[in-house]
Amino acid sequence: MLDGSSRWNPTGSLGRALTVGGVGVAVALAAGRPALVVVVAPLLVAGAMGLLHRPTEEPRVVAAFAHRQLHEGQGMRIRLESLGLDDVEHVTRAVAPQPYVALHPAEGTLGGLVGPDGIPAVEASPRRWGLRTLGAEKVAFTTPWGGYRWGPVTLPGREVAVLPTLSRLRSGGEAPQPIGLIGAHRSRRDGDGTEFSSIRRFHAGDRLRRINWRVSLRHGDLHVQSTRAEEDTAVLIIVDALADYGESDGVGGRESSLDITIRAAAAVADQYVSGGDRVSLRVLSPGGEYAGYGTGTRHLRRLLILLSRIRPGVPRDVAIDQIDFRANAGTVVVVISPMLSGPLATATVRLVRRGLPVIVIDPLPAGTTPSAYPDADPAVADLAWRMRLLDRNQLLSQLAASGCPVVPWNGPRTLEEVLRRVARRGQLPRVVGGA
Amino acid sequence: MSSTGSTRMWRGAVPSVWVLRGVVAVGLMLAQLAGMPAGYTPPVALVVVVAALSLASAFRPDHLVVSVTMGIVIVWWALQLRTEMPAAVLVVAAGLVSAHVATTLLAYGPTSLPVDPALAVLWTMRTAMTWTAGLGVWAVARAYEGHGSPATFWLTGLAAALVGAVVAAVATPIRGKEARR
Repeated sequence: MLDGSSRWNPTGSLGRALTVGGVGVAVALAAGRPALVVVVAPLLVAGAMGLLHRPTEEPRVVAAFAHRQLHEGQGMRIRLESLGLDDVEHVTRAVAPQPYVALHPAEGTLGGLVGPDGIPAVEASPRRWGLRTLGAEKVAFTTPWGGYRWGPVTLPGREVAVLPTLSRLRSGGEAPQPIGLIGAHRSRRDGDGTEFSSIRRFHAGDRLRRINWRVSLRHGDLHVQSTRAEEDTAVLIIVDALADYGESDGVGGRESSLDITIRAAAAVADQYVSGGDRVSLRVLSPGGEYAGYGTGTRHLRRLLILLSRIRPGVPRDVAIDQIDFRANAGTVVVVISPMLSGPLATATVRLVRRGLPVIVIDPLPAGTTPSAYPDADPAVADLAWRMRLLDRNQLLSQLAASGCPVVPWNGPRTLEEVLRRVARRGQLPRVVGGA
Repeated sequence: MSSTGSTRMWRGAVPSVWVLRGVVAVGLMLAQLAGMPAGYTPPVALVVVVAALSLASAFRPDHLVVSVTMGIVIVWWALQLRTEMPAAVLVVAAGLVSAHVATTLLAYGPTSLPVDPALAVLWTMRTAMTWTAGLGVWAVARAYEGHGSPATFWLTGLAAALVGAVVAAVATPIRGKEARR
């Protein structure tokens, strides 16, 4: 809650009514002009009524926010809770416009009579992930007949974490090498699952209900039906926030590369955390946001908050290709990057060579042109960008050649087919290189 | 009730603000020119000055220019009228009080603030009621024209103005303590 205080002051309207009215009556009396009394009588009455409603107590106003966190596109009403409104007839609110925050009323200014329902509320809806300041506004109260004004008082607003929007579409993708305890992914080893694996001879310890009587009668000794274990998996999401390419209009509009990156990371995290898997997040940015492996709704919220705090830039104190990503065997690594950074491509190849299933999601929107320095020659800037794109294409080709699929982000089902292919490939014999 | 709808702005102001600006300018000019049918014609230079000041008042509702413009109009009428009480002074009073109320409403907020319809209705009633104070003084003055001494005349007029103020105070719906109780 944020509050502000001020004091009552006479308005210009009151001063004008009393001054013009008083001078008019004085001139009428002094010069003997009765018609002037008629002319200024309404102003005198208005001034007198303003004086009659002189306020006796100071109001206190407090901005009340219903939420500390919102998802993109969600909205909330910013109310003003106040005390001492007995002398107040009218309230004026002027909310400062903020980037990527839609207001209702659109201009952010709202005025109305203070009635039994209190002060009219302003509605705010952040349109893009990040930390957004909501509710920075100026508030003024006016007494009946416009005689006195309180304020305008500046209320500073509150920083709200705007979490990336989540799609409720669920992917059916499986983890290629799940190594965990209990989860939803089909394991390579036999266990107490539901997926058929094989029919084999009865061993001591097998459950009786697993006996396949038809096969046992045919072979003359007991055979059981074995199933695959079902395990959870670890997922490491690496987010490239080294730069933001393209224009962003917020949710529902044009998306920049970082918009796609953040929303894709949120969707992947949501998908795996909801499936009971352990998810870790590593952000390549000056803030170096990191979350260890965890599961559950609380962990998902933590990941989303970390994503909302990302500010793009190059980390100063760490070399990207030297980062220990803490990915154990079986961990599914999802790298969300436009691959315009050579060190990140190197780090990705190192993860692939360790035998980890690595998938690169390319968030670069088609037709993106970066913002160049104002004094840069457009032709040179265009040429430089085209050269970077050529470098990027080469990096992506090398990644694909090293066994790392690169896919553009196309919603939560993006990973489904890719993971299936990686899982099939993972069952083939292969040579594992050193890290 | 509140003005919560989004309103299209034109040149930095919502339509209702432009209407109020028009009321300010027209009200002040009306107060200046109301006597023309009765032969009280101001000089062209004065009309130009008042017109310019009226426009300035419309765009600076909290500025001293509003009071100055009203003062010029009142002084001019003081020079034109002696003991006469033409009906035109009622139009002058209406013009002045309309301009005053419009500037009061304009000063409630920035130019992007639409005027709350309930507030507009309330102030229209108040304007009409304050104008009745002038009407009362005018009616008393006309009724006693040529009958009373100057001192009696003034006392009667001021008493009528006071009665008008009390009537306005009692009759006007005031949003405040009573509404919330």
